[in-house]
Amino acid sequence: MNKKITNKRDWARRQPPIEGSEFELKAWLFMRISGLLLVFLAVTHMFIMHIFNDTLNLDYEFVATRWDDYTIRAFDWGLLSLSLLHGGNGVRIVLHDNISNPTVKKVSIIFLFLIILSFFFLGSYGLLTFVSQI
Amino acid sequence: MSNQNNLSTGLPYRGRTGMWLYILHRITGIGLFGYLLMHIISTTLILLGPEIYEGAEAVYKNFYFRITEILLMLAVLLHAINGLRIIAIDLWSKGTNYQPQLNSIAIIVFFAIWIPASIKMVNSYFDICLEKSSEGTTIVDCMIRPIPDWKKSE
Repeated sequence: MNKKITNKRDWARRQPPIEGSEFELKAWLFMRISGLLLVFLAVTHMFIMHIFNDTLNLDYEFVATRWDDYTIRAFDWGLLSLSLLHGGNGVRIVLHDNISNPTVKKVSIIFLFLIILSFFFLGSYGLLTFVSQI
Repeated sequence: MSNQNNLSTGLPYRGRTGMWLYILHRITGIGLFGYLLMHIISTTLILLGPEIYEGAEAVYKNFYFRITEILLMLAVLLHAINGLRIIAIDLWSKGTNYQPQLNSIAIIVFFAIWIPASIKMVNSYFDICLEKSSEGTTIVDCMIRPIPDWKKSE
């Protein structure tokens, strides 16, 4: 069975899995721990916004009232940072698994890192500096 | 590179429940990451004041986006519940012994939460639309109007 039967569109033609370093072991564990926290944070957020309230009623005042409470800002900041880290690492693994060219892989992972960093600062800036205008 | 020399079915794994859950986990994960970036931008627009923020939110207030929101709920619940299944297999010492059962439980729990949630989201859409719109508005109006002009009737 040494013959290559795979073709270009073959889903099985993926790269060997990421493994073999202390960092990857920690990243693997981080995905489990942050995933567990995100099940609580993200599902709670979804239920508050879409089930107990309706997004049709979402307006400036609604968010301003919510963010008056600093516990909710802390909750949202936890959701922002954990989802960016968890999602970012997830996309990094997807990029690793599906790009064979090492240069393209490296460039896209650097690009991904810059996206995560800038969205983290953008979101944190919004959450920390928001002052209600009404 | 030995994994590229195997006799291949053209699928990542053996083509059963676990493989499809793995594929759905990746698809929903990438979708959620994309939505997350959009959501951070649209929420940060709140710094620019009520008019711009509510203008951006108005894009979401139509029936087509309600369907998208139901798909978003699908992605979140599927990724969350399947994630708990993965954690159980990886970190619970007996997890690997119960993989078929865990697959079934994950699928059942997902539908048990997602279906009622979807029904609530659709019902709530029509309730609010009919309540806020002028008299004579029908459910069909609520579905086909791109952005219901509710501010006028208030």
